[in-house]
Amino acid sequence: MIDFFEVIKRALNGPYYSEQDFNIKLLVPKVREVVKEYGIRYDPETPVPDDDQLADDVFQAGLALCEEVGCYCKDTSRVIRFSREEILEALRDAPVNPIFGEGRDRKAMIARRPESAESPYCYLGSGGGVVSSEEVFARLVEGYGRNPLTDSVTCPTLTKINGMDVVAGSPLELLACIRSVELARAALRRAQRPGLPIMNSIATAVTAAGKITGSAFGLRDTDCWVIGFTSPLKVQFERLNEVAYVIARGGQHIGECGEILGGYAGGPEGVAVVVVAYHILSILVLRASVHLTFPMDFRYGCNTSWEIQWPTTVSTQAISRNSHHPVMNLTYTAAGPMTEMCLYEIAAGQIARVASGGHIEYGGTSKAVKADFLTPLEPRFASQVAHASAGLSRAEANELVKTLIPKYKDQLADPPKGLKFQECYDWDSIEPNQEYLDLYGRIKDELAGYGLRIE
Amino acid sequence: MANKSDLLAKLRLAIMEGDEEQARESAQECLDAGISPMETVESGLRDGLRRVGEQFELLEVFLPEMIMAAEAGNAVMEVLQPAIQASGQEATSPGTVIIGAAKGDIHTIGKSILAMLLRLAGFEVHDLGEAVAATTFLEKARSLKADIIAISALMTSTMPGQREVVNLLRDVGEREKYRVIVGGAPVTQEWADQIGADGYAETASAGVTLALRLMDS
Repeated sequence: MIDFFEVIKRALNGPYYSEQDFNIKLLVPKVREVVKEYGIRYDPETPVPDDDQLADDVFQAGLALCEEVGCYCKDTSRVIRFSREEILEALRDAPVNPIFGEGRDRKAMIARRPESAESPYCYLGSGGGVVSSEEVFARLVEGYGRNPLTDSVTCPTLTKINGMDVVAGSPLELLACIRSVELARAALRRAQRPGLPIMNSIATAVTAAGKITGSAFGLRDTDCWVIGFTSPLKVQFERLNEVAYVIARGGQHIGECGEILGGYAGGPEGVAVVVVAYHILSILVLRASVHLTFPMDFRYGCNTSWEIQWPTTVSTQAISRNSHHPVMNLTYTAAGPMTEMCLYEIAAGQIARVASGGHIEYGGTSKAVKADFLTPLEPRFASQVAHASAGLSRAEANELVKTLIPKYKDQLADPPKGLKFQECYDWDSIEPNQEYLDLYGRIKDELAGYGLRIE
Repeated sequence: MANKSDLLAKLRLAIMEGDEEQARESAQECLDAGISPMETVESGLRDGLRRVGEQFELLEVFLPEMIMAAEAGNAVMEVLQPAIQASGQEATSPGTVIIGAAKGDIHTIGKSILAMLLRLAGFEVHDLGEAVAATTFLEKARSLKADIIAISALMTSTMPGQREVVNLLRDVGEREKYRVIVGGAPVTQEWADQIGADGYAETASAGVTLALRLMDS
């Protein structure tokens, strides 16, 4: 595979495009062209298709798109482009079975395939969700660590430090990043899981400086960073600076992308194809060990709607059938903790993604934006559903998802807010209250009635 | 010769299909048929753009189609402008909006969607892009004679950038000159109230409704 220096060279010297021309004159027509050329058609009746040919066509279309369009560097207005040979070589040489964590919590993430009976890797926690205080941060992370199905944690975002709002790019960001790492490490020790990897490095960080500074205060090279693209198919030097740092340390990172349904990629077909292009660029440009994807429905700010399932499941199937580089899906729910809707959203999301060959990140309760509207029970439930979904056929998953989404789809525009962590959990024991446990039990029983038995 | 409603419908269709050439041609046909330029704007151009916005909400069309419709709309205005000026009238716009992502924030898609929907609703929109400093919002608001300053933030740590704009406007004694609206995933009505913004919208379409309401008030 071509090396990182060559990627930077192309970011500096590749063909020039204004950003608008890249969006409108290059990307949009090419997406439409490959969707048409490969005959990709959205089927609104089937949120989890089981058509291998469709998955393979989407992969080939994404590969063609990657070759024709490349990746736009926002700092230089240059396009980083790769030949087909370089792309195929990257897919062949991409990292495989990355290992994270230490001691008893050291574990490999092995690429799955659609309908695989292998349990998915469960990366659990907040998904960058926001908290109001350091105390809530610490209790949540300890709660995530206590779940035996947690393979790695995603920590929350601190919004305040010493009572002051964290301001991006200011010294407060750096100090909050340092505090985040210290709190997370201590919380995992309290959970008796000192080796559990922190997989989202520092959610509090906005800048590379914040993340790099904070990492010096307790992140390990056996943890993992999350480094993202900018939609659509763009990258910034801030992120490539993080890549340079992680590579130099011998660490590992996730290449993240969240394409928007209805944005420049267009409809479900375009989003599915663009996600595949991101997968390849995640290997080549971001040099990632894992690819994380979360197509979003802009109308609701979540990814549990009916329409977002098809591009998510089809792209996951396309990647998991055609690449040995692991792919993981993140779910954002619209509803908040201790609501039926939130648990239905979680169940539908995990069933669809696991049957399609993905690993899971769960941590987007309440769209991950309402301070303290998240608890350890949602990721626990997500991991249990994910394990129970391993081995489901895609046809079975499709029927389950079709049963679950109608239970909440009319509430997506105005979802129930639910309760804050402090309101539905016991603060000292970090255990859910009886009412939340009863709801959780009822939904598990209901899923068992549909044939999904959760241990 | 086609009647008035057919010609306006043809113009609407060209706008909805983002067909710049056909839109230009249809606009000229409307003028040639004696339809007033203002009626052509209201019942042809604006109606077509409004319908594209509605289709977007239903996921029947996407951001690229909205951009193409807006560009077709610009072409129509080029055709109509001389006739509008000759008639002594002015094409009315609900107002002028400057829009940008708050300092430190590089997330732009949601902001771009709102900018496009505002354009489709007839606003004059100036998109300042991403990571916009408070001082830039102020300078642009002054130079472009903005009615509304719209600021997005997708991260909790960039939300203070919204407050910075409101504070700066207040500190230079120009807070009352502009309506400030805020949005973005972590932003709430409570936050808007706390920082003294004039409005908050959870979605892009709600943002358009809010902007229209503020211009009416």
